[in-house]
Amino acid sequence: MDIVVCIKQVPDPEHFSKIVLDAKTKLVRREGIPVVVNQVDKHALEAALQIREKFSGRVTVISMGPPQAREAIEEAFAMGADGGVLLSDRAFAGADSLTTAYTLAQAIKKFSPFDLILLGNETADSGTRQVAPQLAEFLDVPHVTNVRTIGFNSGDTLIVERSMENGHMKIEVRLPAVLAVNRTINEPRIPSVIDIMQVATKEIKVCGLADLGLSSEDVGLVGSPTQMANLFESRRERRREILDGAAVTAARQAVERLRELNAL
Amino acid sequence: MTGKNETWVYAEQKAGHASKATLQLLGKAVELGKETGSPTVCVLVGSGAQGVPRELAAYGASKVYVVDDPRLELYQSEAYASVVAGLVKEHCPEIFLFAATDVGEDLAPRVAAKVGTGLTAHCIDLRIEKRDGVPLLHQTVPAWGGGMRIDIVCPKHRPQMATVKPGVFDLPVPKSDSNAEVVDVPAQLNEKHFRARTIEVKEEAQRETPLTEADAVVAVGWGAYSLGGIQCPQELAEAVCGTLAGTRPMVDSGWIPPDRMVGQSGKVVSSRLFISLGASGAMHFTSGFERAKFVVAVDQNPKAPIFQVADIGIVGDLREVLPCLTEEIKKQKSSKG
Amino acid sequence: MDFSFSREQEMLKKAVRGFAESNVAPRVPELEQKGAFPFDLVKGMGQMGLLGLTNSRPYGGTGMGYMARTIAIEEVSRIYPSLGFFFQAGNLFMFAVEGFGSEDQKRKYLPDLCKGTKISSFGVTEQMGGSDPSAMMTTSKLDGESYVVNGRKSFITNVEVADTLGFVAKTGDSFSVFFVEKGTKGYEVTRREPRPGLRCMPVNELVFSNCKIPKGNLVGEEGRGMAIAITTISVIGRTGAAGVALGAAQGAFEGAAKFCNGRVMYGKPISNLQAIQFMLADMSTDIEASRWLCYRPAWLLDQGKNPREIGPDIARSKLFAVDMALRTCLKAQEVMGAYGQSPEYRVEIFLRDAIELLTAGGTQEIMRLTVGRALAS
Repeated sequence: MDIVVCIKQVPDPEHFSKIVLDAKTKLVRREGIPVVVNQVDKHALEAALQIREKFSGRVTVISMGPPQAREAIEEAFAMGADGGVLLSDRAFAGADSLTTAYTLAQAIKKFSPFDLILLGNETADSGTRQVAPQLAEFLDVPHVTNVRTIGFNSGDTLIVERSMENGHMKIEVRLPAVLAVNRTINEPRIPSVIDIMQVATKEIKVCGLADLGLSSEDVGLVGSPTQMANLFESRRERRREILDGAAVTAARQAVERLRELNAL
Repeated sequence: MTGKNETWVYAEQKAGHASKATLQLLGKAVELGKETGSPTVCVLVGSGAQGVPRELAAYGASKVYVVDDPRLELYQSEAYASVVAGLVKEHCPEIFLFAATDVGEDLAPRVAAKVGTGLTAHCIDLRIEKRDGVPLLHQTVPAWGGGMRIDIVCPKHRPQMATVKPGVFDLPVPKSDSNAEVVDVPAQLNEKHFRARTIEVKEEAQRETPLTEADAVVAVGWGAYSLGGIQCPQELAEAVCGTLAGTRPMVDSGWIPPDRMVGQSGKVVSSRLFISLGASGAMHFTSGFERAKFVVAVDQNPKAPIFQVADIGIVGDLREVLPCLTEEIKKQKSSKG
Repeated sequence: MDFSFSREQEMLKKAVRGFAESNVAPRVPELEQKGAFPFDLVKGMGQMGLLGLTNSRPYGGTGMGYMARTIAIEEVSRIYPSLGFFFQAGNLFMFAVEGFGSEDQKRKYLPDLCKGTKISSFGVTEQMGGSDPSAMMTTSKLDGESYVVNGRKSFITNVEVADTLGFVAKTGDSFSVFFVEKGTKGYEVTRREPRPGLRCMPVNELVFSNCKIPKGNLVGEEGRGMAIAITTISVIGRTGAAGVALGAAQGAFEGAAKFCNGRVMYGKPISNLQAIQFMLADMSTDIEASRWLCYRPAWLLDQGKNPREIGPDIARSKLFAVDMALRTCLKAQEVMGAYGQSPEYRVEIFLRDAIELLTAGGTQEIMRLTVGRALAS
């Protein structure tokens, strides 16, 4: 079973409050904010490793990002991934979800035959949850998002459960397919010392625009249909509105305010 | 690209009724349509939802495309995406809105990819602003844990697509005498559209949502001791569809299980709504809900530090305030539909 | 000169931090309360390959080195020094066997100890104290194919849970290192010492009364025991105590810094007050100085330096780290006011644990002696 896992390096969510807006450039300043592998992507990788352990095969991780995103792939190696592809090119920067999915799809077509592609259901930084269905569309395969269990039927069919707000869906999926998993699916392993020491023996294939044979018109910011028009800060200051009337009145006023603030 | 100057809404239905999220979206679509002079059109996919178009009309839809097919009774990702994208390609509306629900979040991206247009996820505001004389949908999304907002536009591709979480927009007032043109559209489907086939949808007894993922949290502090039990706070938690939690003293006293402790050594919650009952506001507690969107605090001491970190503070005796609060919220919820 | 971690060491740091934060942290309140030995966490560290960082591959170790071990100790201790102390108490016998034992002993004992499925302990100290070995009263006499051991050992960490105990005994005029297995007749672990800190690593007394152990339980040559013990205590015991102190200080500092950033007085976080900033600055400077004092001997050991040559470097690092940890934990308590004693912030645990480190691997005065003697000669 050939499994591809898409992972992303993101700013550590613990430090999001330190990310500020530069008043002059109107750009986000994130120097000094540590980066981590997007947490739910580790659950996707764990799912892939468990499938490999059961049926044998190969797990390849693929990531799009700046050169330092190789650290994310190395971490995936430490968890047990077999191969890694890093899509890194200035031209890829600023991609929205559609262009990200397009670029990933082209790379996967070119380098990684696959039976199954696993992703995290969302990223901590943009959180659109859009890449998985769009990747599947570009590769012309079925997709399921928000997957909480993966079971194997006979042959090339999976039975997966998709979490829903108040229940779940059971879906029969023919391989090859794209699945986006959520955090309830498993507990990602912590790499062992031996695995960490083997990272250096695994090779990361680094690819740019030319290696994928793509046009700069179709990738990155230039190729993205959506664009950022404004960026503004909205620091959370509490309102500190005090209601100290009779209980009945205060409660009514409070709920009224909550309704106005769309908090219910 | 020349298309129709229309604002579309993807209509979700359940048991023969349009979902509340759809109707909220419809209200916003009508508002946007007034600015651009465009009619509001719904797309309804499923099986046996005859009554829904009338409902959609009451909330402002002037036309409803209905794709009614027994094979589409359950949500089928590829089949739904195919029929919806087919309609978009045929009519090319200006704007197409989806509710960010289990279905909407899964469907909209695939439709956007099929059509080759942009999609903005989880908008908290939508408005029309002109750029070079052309009206553009400005789609506001929160970024970086809520500390920033970004306006996103889709200048060159149509439709301009967005998803919106349920509850962001208010439910409009329906007009019972409105009518919508209903256009039946046959579903052209084959085996390939069911490579992923939904075979079952099951509702589950509402499991306790983990605190960290709860949408609303009601936390009790030592002051809630006067209530004599957690029944009243639990009722409030149910009324706001939330999870009951507590401070360390309440965990130590056995009222609240340890995995529902909020604070420094407990859980950090980022719920939409956080209600603190009878906690004075020690820092090791308040640091646990810094990331909550709205904070309501009830305590009888007007000088309690909890009121410094609350949006709305109610000063009073919990035994009096709590039942009123629960009552009011229930009323509010039921009037909202 | 190169002051950076290798990529492997960086990944190890991240992995151990992940283990400590997700697997260890939730267990701390329970372990502190019960004072029970955390077999499962030790096994977890073994599975990760952390217990055999300085043991070689053929014997179940990972051989990543002393720098790696320091990183692991620091990261575990940053969350829970008591567990970090296992790298001290639990690694001693493993070092002695790997460095001085026979091939058979290495193959038989090291793999399980590296995995954490078996536990070892190492006993030198007796009631008259550990600093003056010449006063040692435990004896071991060869009688045919066995040694007969008599005597008592005091303040021995983890002996209560150990499958194997390494120990030093007098053989005639000199000393030798032996080991005894749990359940051997005449070997008995007696009362547990009540201790304020390092609560999950039990400390007990033990008694040998005509305990017969096989001849094969001698580690290294007869008569070389004191040299073996001193090297073991220096390379494992003192570096271990220093690493635990470093981690404890880091943990206390982070708790204090977080508190000061959140605690509002006069309308501002108290970290905006210069008096508080000075204290935090002093703490972080102290920790950073100690960190490099700890890293250097580890680095030298990884370069293959003879442990005896760097005895003073190790002693300096332990001396400074433990004093530093005490200073830091006290300052942390000070800036936090009454909250410094609250279990919410765990700073009081760090302080109690740091106190225990004063004597671990030798008292602070013995560290000064080791440094001083080297200077005098």
